[in-house]
Parts: sequence; structure tokens; C-alpha cells
Amino acid sequence: MKILNARAINTVLMIAGYLFIWGPIVVLGIFSFNSNAYGVKWESLTVKWYVDFFHSPAIITAVLRSLFIASVTTVCATVIGTLAGYGLYKYKFSGRRALRMSVLLPITVPYVIMAGALLVYFTRIVHIPLGYPAIIIAHISFSAPLAVFVTLGRMQRINWSLEEASVDLGADTLTTWRKITIPLLLPAIFASAVLIFPWSFNDFTVTYFVAGVGTTTLPLYLYSMLEYSLKPVLINVISLIFIIVPIICILLVYLVRGKRKHTA
Amino acid sequence: MAASRIKTKIKANLNLFLTVGPVSLWILLFVFAPVAVIVFISFLASTPFGDILPRFSIENYRFLLFGESEYARAVLRSILYAFVTNMACLLIGFPMAYWISKYGGRFKAFFLFLVIVPSWSCYIIRIYALKQLVGYPGIVNDFLLGIGLISSPINILYTPAAVILGLIYIWLPFMVLPIYASLEGINPALLEASLDLGANPRWRFLTITLPLVKGGIFGGTILTFIPALGDWLVPLLIGGNRVWMAGNLIEHFLVVRGKIAMASSMAVILTAAVVLLIYMFIKLGGEESMERIV
Repeated sequence: MKILNARAINTVLMIAGYLFIWGPIVVLGIFSFNSNAYGVKWESLTVKWYVDFFHSPAIITAVLRSLFIASVTTVCATVIGTLAGYGLYKYKFSGRRALRMSVLLPITVPYVIMAGALLVYFTRIVHIPLGYPAIIIAHISFSAPLAVFVTLGRMQRINWSLEEASVDLGADTLTTWRKITIPLLLPAIFASAVLIFPWSFNDFTVTYFVAGVGTTTLPLYLYSMLEYSLKPVLINVISLIFIIVPIICILLVYLVRGKRKHTA
Repeated sequence: MAASRIKTKIKANLNLFLTVGPVSLWILLFVFAPVAVIVFISFLASTPFGDILPRFSIENYRFLLFGESEYARAVLRSILYAFVTNMACLLIGFPMAYWISKYGGRFKAFFLFLVIVPSWSCYIIRIYALKQLVGYPGIVNDFLLGIGLISSPINILYTPAAVILGLIYIWLPFMVLPIYASLEGINPALLEASLDLGANPRWRFLTITLPLVKGGIFGGTILTFIPALGDWLVPLLIGGNRVWMAGNLIEHFLVVRGKIAMASSMAVILTAAVVLLIYMFIKLGGEESMERIV
């Protein structure tokens, strides 16, 4: 009886936690179909904000900018991060521990400080133009560490004897990399990319500091919309498109994969 | 013999250079160098308009720590907010992690996924969602008015309570994950043994489970306390211009007022606080709290 009680309390607390996390997002999604543009009062069902969304070139441009930045960042950060994770796991060298700690630095120091430091560095010291180059460089600094740690985490679960076998059988380094190492690393590469792409796409703080004038990414655009109260309902539309649609896609992939694993 | 040994050595070094090299160079150029520049600038004097003078000075630090500046108070306030946030995340997050670990069954991954996913989406959207829900006019207020629990609307926006609520909302997922990982790492034999030896479930929870997830709790603390301490976006969006945390002052001095030297000193002070706190948490939580982060 007592155990049942503890379990019931635990379940209630768990549900409350999930409601707290998901409630605001779900409500936001529902209200994107509300005809009142400012509103928290429900008027009537409409899809006109979705039509509005696809007819506002400023938002579409911002989305394309964010997609471009996130794509370049993901490719660069995943490549150098995965390589470093591989090297850190495979080779013993002096300064290995120091490098591991250094890679942690950009994600432990508060974003506002790292981003501010990069702004000062770019404008006063190395003169990298604000805008795309600065944003992409800054994003790589923050996201390459993620790839390093994702890769390090996965390396332990990989069977490395395949690599040794390939070398023993006479394959040269390049062939071994192409045929064995990269395929083995693919899950880590994929996991890193899945983590980095949304991070870069959604980042506000770092972009805000180094964007300069004219490189308004989607989060910056959303911020200015909130600041000047321009049709706040469009934010609901954007939230539905960029949170709920991807989630449904991932859930479907998850369910399909789960089912396949189950039947296999 | 010797030649081939040298050759393998060169090859090993080349491999090392090709794998670890790019990130090392990147970190050196775009993480260490900017931080070094900030630290250097923080010790320079500047004119009242913010132009930097090439002269050593600790005036910034003296002013920030002992002078008329409100920065010291803002840092203390940030630490307080971060502490409250962290405790609330622990209270909300622990039962979630515990439930998933104990009753999740074959849907464990799915439940975890539901915790993580919102943190992948845009901050601004999430804070706006929260704001729309708890603000006035807002759904929570309408509901409470409707059922007659309150007679006049409560407006918590632009108050410290709203900022803390926002911080909890944003950082909660990062408390659940490390605690869950810790709970999963507990050897079930220990729990059975304690039951066999006559412990009741509550006693078992307090004496076996809780000490064993200490590392996870401190890992989660590092992942929620530290980012909450340095947060500036939540106070900006949900606190208006009325509740300032340390990060807001740094942004204000750097971007709005262009006082780079002063902002740099602020950044160094806040970083020092962060490093000190992380060190403390790792000391308290042991090596495991470090492992649970990455």
C-alpha cells in the first residue's frame, strides 16, 4: 500500500514536470490558429497567419540566412570536432588532458562573456568583418566542442579491431580511413550534426553580439518582432513550424525504427 | 631499423597533427585569444567615454568591487537567482528522472527525448511561450480568475519571480539528464540487499539511492546553476528593463555604452565566480559529477 502511494506521488510529480515543460509550447502552437493577432483571448479558428508567414519576405530571408549559417557551421564543426574526438581517444600525447579541458572552456564560460570577448576580438584585434564570417567562426567555436564530446562518448563502444585488421591486411592509411574508420564513426558524426544544426539555427546570444548590421537571422528577427510588437502571432506560427513539425518528424522516425527493431 | 622507427614516429605525429590539430588551432585562435584579450583589456585604464588608454590600472576592479557600482550587487543577485533556479530544477527534475528510470520500461528513451527536445528549440520562442501563458492578459490568469481563486489578475512579468520562473523553464532539462544517468548506473543488487536487510523503501531511498546519485545531482547543478548565473536573455525578455542580472550589465556596458574596459573587468569577475563555483561543485560531488556533464 505504501509503495503504491509513493509511486502515485511520483507519477503525479512526473506529469506535472512534463506539463510545465510542454504546456507553454503546446498552447503557443494552438494559438497560432487564433484569429486575434495579439492575443491570449481565443476568437476563431484561422490559418491566415500561415498564409501571412509565407508572404513575408523578411521572415523567409531570415530563415534562409539561419539555414545557411547552420549548414556551414554544422559541416565545419562536425568535421574538426569528430577528428579531434578521434585523436583524443586514439593517441596518447602530452597535453591530452589539457586539451580536453580547453575544449570545455567555450561551453562553460557564460555565453554572454564568450560572445562579448569574440566581439571585441573581431572588431579590435583581428578585424574579421561582422556578419556571416564572424557568426560562422563564433558558431564553430561553440559547437566543435559538442562534436568532440559526442565522438569521445561513442568511441568506447566501437570495435576498433576492424581498423587494425585492415592495416594488417595491407591497406594504406587513406583506404583504412575511407573504408573502415569513417563508416565506424558515422553514428558519432550523425549525432554531432543533429546536435549542432539546431544549436546554430536557434542561437541568439552569440549571433546577437557578432552579427553587426544587416545579417538578421531568424532568432534575431523574432527578437525584433517581440521588441516592437509586430504581429506577435507570427511567432506562434514560427514556433509551430520550427518546433512541432521537427518533433513530429523525429517522433515518426523513432516510432518506425522502434517498430522495425521490435519485429526484427 | 632506426630509420623505420623514425618513419613510424613521423607518421604517428602526422596523424596526431591531422586529427587534433585543427581543433587545437581553432580553440587557440578563437577561444583563448579572445579571452586573453578581454583579461588584458580589463587591466587597462580608459577615458570617461570608454576609450582605452595604454596604461595599467586596477581602477575598474576597485570601482566594481568596492566603489559605487551596482555590479557587485548584480552578481550577488545573479548567484541568488541561480541558486533558487537550481533548487527548483532539482525538486522538479528529480521526480521526473526517478520516474523515467524506475517506471519508464521500454519507453525510457522516449520519455527522455520528451525532456530534451524543447531545449533544442529557440530560446526566444520558449520564453515568449511562457510569457504568453503566465502574463496578464494570459491563460493562467484567466483560468484563476474564472474559477474564482483570485479576484484580481496577478502580473508576475517584470519581477524577479518571473525571471526565476523563466530560468527554471529554460534549464530544467539539464538537471533531469545527469540525474537519470546516475540512477541508471546504480547496481540493482544494492537496492535488493538493503530490502533483504530490512530497510523500508523510504529508508532505502535516503540511505542508498540518494547518496549514489550525488554525482548526478552535482553534475546537474553545474549544468543548471552555471548557465543560469550567466544568463542575460531571460531577464532581458521576461524581466523587461527592471530586473538585471550580471550578464545584462556586461551586455549593456559592452554594446550599448561601449565601455569595453569596464565590461571586460565585469566579465573577468563573473568568470572567476563561475570557475570558483564549478570547482566547489566538483569538490562536493566528486569525480562523477564531472563525468555526468559530458
